[in-house]
Formats: sequence, structure tokens, C-alpha cells
Amino acid sequence: MASSQVVKVLIVDDDNFTRRIYKTMLFRFCFEITEVEDGKNAIQQFVDGNEYDLVLMDKHMPNMDGVEATRTLRGMGIPVKIVAITDDASSKDTFMDAGANKFLLKPLTFSMLTDILKSFNFLN
Amino acid sequence: MDYVHLRRQAASLRKGLFDQGYLDEQFYQLEDLQDDASPNFVEEVVTLFFRDSARLMANIDQALDKCVKDFNKLDVYMQQLKGSCTSIGASRMKTDCSAFRECCRDENIEGCMRSFQKIKREHSVLRQKLESYFQLLRQAGPVECATRPNK
Repeated sequence: MASSQVVKVLIVDDDNFTRRIYKTMLFRFCFEITEVEDGKNAIQQFVDGNEYDLVLMDKHMPNMDGVEATRTLRGMGIPVKIVAITDDASSKDTFMDAGANKFLLKPLTFSMLTDILKSFNFLN
Repeated sequence: MDYVHLRRQAASLRKGLFDQGYLDEQFYQLEDLQDDASPNFVEEVVTLFFRDSARLMANIDQALDKCVKDFNKLDVYMQQLKGSCTSIGASRMKTDCSAFRECCRDENIEGCMRSFQKIKREHSVLRQKLESYFQLLRQAGPVECATRPNK
């Protein structure tokens, strides 16, 4: 886990509306949430020394897509849990090959999120 | 003011949105996220959706206006719009977005134009209906108001 006991989540999605939904879901667990609009800014978060326990990663984003961002993070040796969340079903293999831990199809529901958090032991 | 009547009107309007296929079960997910901590969550995300989707649709309009059509770019824009429609449960719009993307793959510009006109109509109708719905909810107030006895 990141250094504090609070679970830190990074939401990476270029859609403002989608980020709002994920934030509301995650607030229910009192997690600490950061959001960025693309893969490049996601990478920068880690370059700046920020630590996260979980990344919710969209695929199609400007500047750097989710697959490339995932691959870059793994190349940097970042072990953070990465959950790819996209409506592009064909990108599953690419995402998993890039180093994602899980792949989910949009729309993300609260129960899907809860299952993922439980699988990573983020819920006590 | 007859709060019960207003809430019934709102409920009827909401039911119609589902029965007529404008919304699907994903909208229930949003409603389930609304609580005391986020009492206006659904209206907030709906507002965000229409603002963002209007911007995307303006981009698509511009891209369609160009002499040389970039089907890849059109497809990317439409994928974004479809993703937002999926997240809010805008079922009809989602279907129309898929149709547009098929036309992009076939490089069928007339098909793209027709699909996009349909998307714009559906967007407008959904926006009007949801605005009416939230207006009714605001007028009706919280449930406690509806049950407060008259003095």
C-alpha cells in the first residue's frame, strides 16, 4: 500500500462526467482520490513522486492512451494495481499484455467496483 | 402546492424515459449513488453529460463540415460520445453512436450524416425530458415536504 493507511486512487479518464461518477463511488469508501485527463498526466503523477494504490485507467485518451500509460508505468517499475476500464472490448489482451491487473468493460457499476476493491484487499 | 401530484408527474416522466428506451438500467446505478452526501448527484452528472456531449457533438459537426473527411477522427469522437452515453444510460443515443461508428468503418459519409442527425435529435429530446424531470423534482421538493401536513 501507499505510505498512509488511506487507499489512494488515481482516476485516469478524459471524460469529466465519467471521472465524476467514479469519484462519487470511491468517496463512499473514504478513499483519497486524484484525477487526471490522460495517460501523460498519469505518468507525471508518479514521476512527481506521488504514490497510489490503485489506478482506474481508461483506454482512449488524448496525448497518451491507457495502454501506453500502463506499459510506461510497468516499464518504470511501478507496481500499482491498474484496472483498465473501457468500452473497447477488443483492447483486453493489449491492456493485459501491457501490465494491467484487471480489465473491465464500461459502464462501471458500484458492485463491479466493490468486487475489484475486495479482490485487491482494499476493503477491510 | 400539491407535492404528491408533482412527484407523481416526475415518476411518470421517469417511467416513460425507461419505457420508451431513452434510458437503461445504468441510470439506476446513478440514482443509487445519490445519497445525503451527494443529494443532487444525478442532476449534476446529467448536467455534466449534456455539457460534455454538446462539446463533443460540436467537434463532430466541425469534422463533418470539412471537405476531406477524417473517418478515424470522427470515430474517435463518436467513441467518446458513446462512452458517455453508456455511463449515463442514454440507451437510444448509444445505439445511434454505434450506427455512426459502423458508417465510419465503411467510410459512408451519407450514413454518418444521417446517424449524426438522429443523434442530435435524440440528444435534444433526452435533454428536454430530463430537464423537465429535474424541474418537477425540484418543485416537488424532498419527500419530507410531500408528507408534511397542511397547517
